[in-house]
Amino acid sequence: MIPANRNQVAMAIARLSTRILPHAMRQWGFAIQNEVEAIERADRATMFALGCLGFALHQAVIFHVLRPLQLMAGSGVHAGQEAQLMNMRNDLLQHPKRMATLCAITATGLGLVYMNVAGAPTAYLAMNLSALVIGFLLAGILALCARSARLSAGAISVTLAILLLLTSLFGTTASGATRWIALGGLSVQPSLLILPIMAICFAHSRDMPSTVGVAIASLAVAMQPDRGMSGALAAGMLVLALLRPERNVMIAAGAAISGFVASMLQADVQPAMPYVDQILYSSFDVHPLAGMAVFAGAALMIMPSIIGGLYDIERLETYAVFGIVWLAVIVAAALGNYPTPLVGYGGSAIIGYVVSLLGLPQRTNSKALDRQEVDTSVGEPEQHDLRMGFA
Amino acid sequence: MIRNRALSPSARKLLTLMAEAGETWSHGYELCRQAGIKSGTLYPLLIRLEAQGYLEAEWHPPTGPGRPPRHAYRLTVTGKQLAREVAAPQLQARPSTLSGQSA
Repeated sequence: MIPANRNQVAMAIARLSTRILPHAMRQWGFAIQNEVEAIERADRATMFALGCLGFALHQAVIFHVLRPLQLMAGSGVHAGQEAQLMNMRNDLLQHPKRMATLCAITATGLGLVYMNVAGAPTAYLAMNLSALVIGFLLAGILALCARSARLSAGAISVTLAILLLLTSLFGTTASGATRWIALGGLSVQPSLLILPIMAICFAHSRDMPSTVGVAIASLAVAMQPDRGMSGALAAGMLVLALLRPERNVMIAAGAAISGFVASMLQADVQPAMPYVDQILYSSFDVHPLAGMAVFAGAALMIMPSIIGGLYDIERLETYAVFGIVWLAVIVAAALGNYPTPLVGYGGSAIIGYVVSLLGLPQRTNSKALDRQEVDTSVGEPEQHDLRMGFA
Repeated sequence: MIRNRALSPSARKLLTLMAEAGETWSHGYELCRQAGIKSGTLYPLLIRLEAQGYLEAEWHPPTGPGRPPRHAYRLTVTGKQLAREVAAPQLQARPSTLSGQSA
């Protein structure tokens, strides 16, 4: 008999592999899990599971990134693949977080195309790519911490808001604005990391501590001052107030709008940075391809909220806040010298966007999509059937 | 398709090993150890072989208390045929080597 906790690490890796694998391969995931469980030595089980994790990641990239891109490009699709592609499309529509992840990766990639065509230093490209990886790592860590520590949304919101306030008080000042912190020689803009996820979390957890968190954050960005981010927060809260006219939402919206007005009344004059600001205008001057990449990337950032809102009406407010906040950030970048998220140079926006995906639902409640599911797994027993077989 | 592409050394090893096993069912971990391939290489091969009808897979009930049920594999008739085709060039190469040794 195998002691229960012996291969715990290996089992955790095997379970993760099963989760990552595309649905059609799920039975192989269970096969891997049971194989890992059967291995006597913990070190060998871990090595075996790690190898399987690599395989699962590879399959996930093919299924969730490469094939959808192939589908979007309309190339290499044979008649026999149509049902599979339809399922893939439905799978993306049913999993907003997964779709938004694909959008984030693609938009960042399009930003790299723009920067490369525009002749940006290679270090800028590497920085954006690193930010994408850091964003996913940070999102993973935050998700695990939130799950294991069982922190309430309100406590998280207030903590993040205080961090933002500390940035406004003790952060790095440039041209009269105090909105950055220096981390290992890099300049990070915490408002881009904190405000979007805070606004999205508030959309589905509108308790009093979260309201206080939004109010503190509104004050913090008004103090910096940051018209772009205070405008994004105000836009998000205003939309939420229209959809959910509740007392806490009204308080939060009032605070956010007041913060935006306060920041508008202060001078906020930042010089335009190359490859960061004003690129929505200048990208087409560089090359039509660069311009298309920038606009397509910006559109992709909003796409998850539009599709989510269409297919998952029950959680409209979450998608609406997500979309409006990021749209406002893009509009601010178009109107003033504010960083253009994902498609321009800047790691804070990339990390902030990826972290904000945590606020999106894992799966939609769409019954229509469930009915559209095309059966391509003929002959492959479901997990339920497999378990029945053991009895 | 596996037939349309040159088989990798790992695929050849696996096919040969499974052909030698005959009607006996094999498990993932022992296949890895015996073929000397990583688990991340084994499962894509098993999936492809099964999808193309060269391999059959079935769940075997636990062999004892505390043991998990396991997914087991063996070659189908066409799989054995493929294994023979894979082995043929090797067998053709061997006599010359052997004759060289005996000379």
